[in-house]
Amino acid sequence: MSLFSAFQISGSALTAEKLRLDLIAGNLANMNSTRTAAGGPYRRRTAVFAEELAGLRMPALFSPRQGEVNFAGKGVRVETVLADHRPPQRVYDPEHPDAGPDGYVLYPNIELVKEITDMLTALRSYEANTTVLNAAKSMYLKAMEIGR
Amino acid sequence: MLIGDRVLQQLTIGLDAAALRQRVIAHNLANLNTPGFKRSYVSFEDNLKSAAGAPALAPAHTHQKHINPAAEKELPAVRRDSRPIQRTDGNNVDIEREMLEMVTNQLRYNALIQQAASRLGNWRMVINEGRR
Repeated sequence: MSLFSAFQISGSALTAEKLRLDLIAGNLANMNSTRTAAGGPYRRRTAVFAEELAGLRMPALFSPRQGEVNFAGKGVRVETVLADHRPPQRVYDPEHPDAGPDGYVLYPNIELVKEITDMLTALRSYEANTTVLNAAKSMYLKAMEIGR
Repeated sequence: MLIGDRVLQQLTIGLDAAALRQRVIAHNLANLNTPGFKRSYVSFEDNLKSAAGAPALAPAHTHQKHINPAAEKELPAVRRDSRPIQRTDGNNVDIEREMLEMVTNQLRYNALIQQAASRLGNWRMVINEGRR
């Protein structure tokens, strides 16, 4: 067990939530992007989180010392970034350079309210994890006072 | 005597348990938005209580290789809580509850640190023959 693994656990969550915030920023920035490198309108991106667990440890080398509990939790990781495959919005605008032969333009299917609520959730999760990080820091600082 | 100080040993177990609980809470809050995640918790104080109130007919412990259920119970253990709460993503982390547990755990940790420091202060006084 590493003394500072509580920091790493919270740190992994900060990284993951930051990535989620980046993706939301990208989604909002591309709300009206009708062209992408892959062709077609921009597709909404979402992060998929998964629990990070330590792999099996070599029993002879790293057997836990007497009385120590083996806790395998290592925080969170971003499993993949998924593109939303819901059909894009069709808006009638024949003047638009990307309009199809029928006069409809395909816009990304991004719901503003959903993105904003997701953003607030990511923000609050980030704050919660910084609080945990500070708590762990103050605990370790307190532990330094033992010999004083 | 200082090396085999039972009080310091018990305080160390308590501090280890508090540090472990901090990691477990950090892990729970790190997975606040992971679909299907189930929270973990550390059971220690409850085990300690039931070990303290162990029945009189406990098995004799006369050899170090005998099974000692009382000592086993004193160790902290990490368990999974699979009870669902009102969330649609199958996750059962409740942020208020985790924060509350974290603050409680922090105060307990600080209290144990103070106990350990004062215990060591007592020993220091003994070593210095009563002079501070």
